[in-house]
Amino acid sequence: MKTSTARQSAGLPGWLRRNLFSSWWNAAVSLVLLGLLAMLAVRLFQWLIIDAQWAGSAPSACADTTSLCWPFVRARWPQFLYGLYPSDEVWRVNLGLAAGALLGAALAVRRMPARRWIAAFLLLAYPPLAWWLFRGGTWGLTPVETSLWGGFFLTLVVTGSVFWVSLLAGVLLALGRQSRMALVRQACTVWIEFWRAVPVLVLLFVVIIMLPLFLPANIEIDQLGRAMIAFAILMSTYLAEAVRGGLQSLSAGQYEAARALGLNWRQSRLHVVLPQALAVSLPQITSNFIGLFKETTVLLVIGLFDLLGEVQRAASDPQWLGTGTTAAGYIFVAVFFWTACFCLSRASSRLERRMTRYRAAAT
Amino acid sequence: MGRRRSGFPGELVRKNSAFWLQCLLGLALVALVVLVFRTTQSNLELLGVQSGFDFLWKKAGFSISQHLIPYTEDSPIWVALAVAILNTLLLAVFCIFLASLLGLFVGIGRLSSNWLVSRLSLAYLEVFRNIPVLLQIFFWYYVALRALPSLESSIFISDYLVLNNRGLYFPFIEFANGFSINPPVMGRFAYEGGFYLMPEFLALWIGLSLYNGSYISEIVRSGFQSVARGQWEAGTALGLKPATVLRRVAFPQALRAVLPPLTTVYMNMFKATSLAAAIAYPEIVSVFVGTVNNLAGRPVEVMAVSLVFYAGVSFLVAWLMGRWNKRVTLRGQ
Repeated sequence: MKTSTARQSAGLPGWLRRNLFSSWWNAAVSLVLLGLLAMLAVRLFQWLIIDAQWAGSAPSACADTTSLCWPFVRARWPQFLYGLYPSDEVWRVNLGLAAGALLGAALAVRRMPARRWIAAFLLLAYPPLAWWLFRGGTWGLTPVETSLWGGFFLTLVVTGSVFWVSLLAGVLLALGRQSRMALVRQACTVWIEFWRAVPVLVLLFVVIIMLPLFLPANIEIDQLGRAMIAFAILMSTYLAEAVRGGLQSLSAGQYEAARALGLNWRQSRLHVVLPQALAVSLPQITSNFIGLFKETTVLLVIGLFDLLGEVQRAASDPQWLGTGTTAAGYIFVAVFFWTACFCLSRASSRLERRMTRYRAAAT
Repeated sequence: MGRRRSGFPGELVRKNSAFWLQCLLGLALVALVVLVFRTTQSNLELLGVQSGFDFLWKKAGFSISQHLIPYTEDSPIWVALAVAILNTLLLAVFCIFLASLLGLFVGIGRLSSNWLVSRLSLAYLEVFRNIPVLLQIFFWYYVALRALPSLESSIFISDYLVLNNRGLYFPFIEFANGFSINPPVMGRFAYEGGFYLMPEFLALWIGLSLYNGSYISEIVRSGFQSVARGQWEAGTALGLKPATVLRRVAFPQALRAVLPPLTTVYMNMFKATSLAAAIAYPEIVSVFVGTVNNLAGRPVEVMAVSLVFYAGVSFLVAWLMGRWNKRVTLRGQ
């Protein structure tokens, strides 16, 4: 509880008294926590920096297998980035990802000319083009099997492709769940509620084992394709629920106004309902995107090597065996994911605040 | 969608077209199901796979490292399934308990007037929420627990609580002859008696609890913040101590805002126990979807059983939490 204003004084001492030592109890808690924190900081510094091994890039650099081994990350860096993608063809990955990043950055600039066209290109043309570039096989590009894809690159490809497909499917499922046609509504509800109850790992195994049985013998889908189907099934149901929240937040007046204007179903959804609903559910959609991004690490269980999978594979190399290498690899992955997820969630909450202001100004 | 005239007749035309559209959709769905069914059947025949649930009564022939009920390699497969289900539920219950405790303390800590407490709570939230849970589990399993001392130099947390790189040993109730409490005792090669949690279990327990605890802390914080300021002030004005206001005034009201999102986190945590397959803790995915599926060669049945298990438990939890939620919501709202 705050102390009375009379005792508050300006400057650091006043701040300390108000926030750390406002009562005997608070002072005791602060001191104990400060002590623990100092101890933790010293131990962490010791482990991460002082005791860690820094020099070299060969396995011999880490003679001590228990202390942290940074040369491991340096030596396996390309594998963490691209997996087993042939090094002569890596430019294709760089080009594709750079183009995507550039388009995304262009979209983030609010005063960008032709922003609508950039968005349309990013949503409609970019994904198939990027896939064609990565996969190759036509127009003079050497084919690169998806089993060679890995690392950071695979994490991004899976997250991006699954999200792209799931957003579309999720919107359709959400609209279906609201449909006036009982059969469509019931079918969508059962589909969503069932898959929401199933863990991603179980669905991955189900799709990997069952899909070949469901399909005729002449249709073959590789492991990556099956994994993405499993992810997309789950992701689309999560996104459907997110969009449904947005749809339900619209007042009935919006639907009625659209009909009063003489718009048909497709026009009213496309021009009146969905733009508002998607804006409302944007925070939910982003948090689902972050969840998907983190969840791609599960791929390593089914023998695909995402970023964590590549680290795991590299750490099980007999030359590099030891907890020091494993720990260094994990810290590298953790820092990568942490930074990405933290920035994404910050960007999302900024966007949310801006939209709340915008909507408050509009009404 | 249909011919559109103004007013009521137009509606009739639309309803009719929707009816035929639904019939068409229904037919298409049925056709798809039949097609998939036929294809699966012929594929299974080509592979020479038999069908039926009779494999559940065959001898399992594999060992399971942790079983809460008697199990040997000679036990039938359905006992192995029961062992795996119990292991899953044990892990889920442990995780739900620890994550709730963590979430409650950190969530309240976020609202503390002590700057250090609220900042540390925020730091916990941001660190653990933004790192993939599988990576956290791996860290505990492959790095932290590997650093534990070996059997000979075990850590004694107390006389009866022993920790080493084979797991955590603690006393347990013994029902064999009457009722007694059975502490772990150093045997020839390992600790015997009592109960022990294997490193796989510990890694999953710590990893899942820390990760989901961060989500729960956020739910608890916003739950307490949803309690109107006047309620706190009224409680204090009545002369109640801050801790009493928290427990008797704010908590019951916060519970209303907390329960629905808490249900979602509990479900997610239950589903996430399947990550155990990544470090081979014997729960339903690693035992049933993995081992039994490979041995029995009945993919369709194995997958159906696991899907039904997860869906069943999820619906049960949703139903129970829904009933609890109904009891705590205000009447007339």
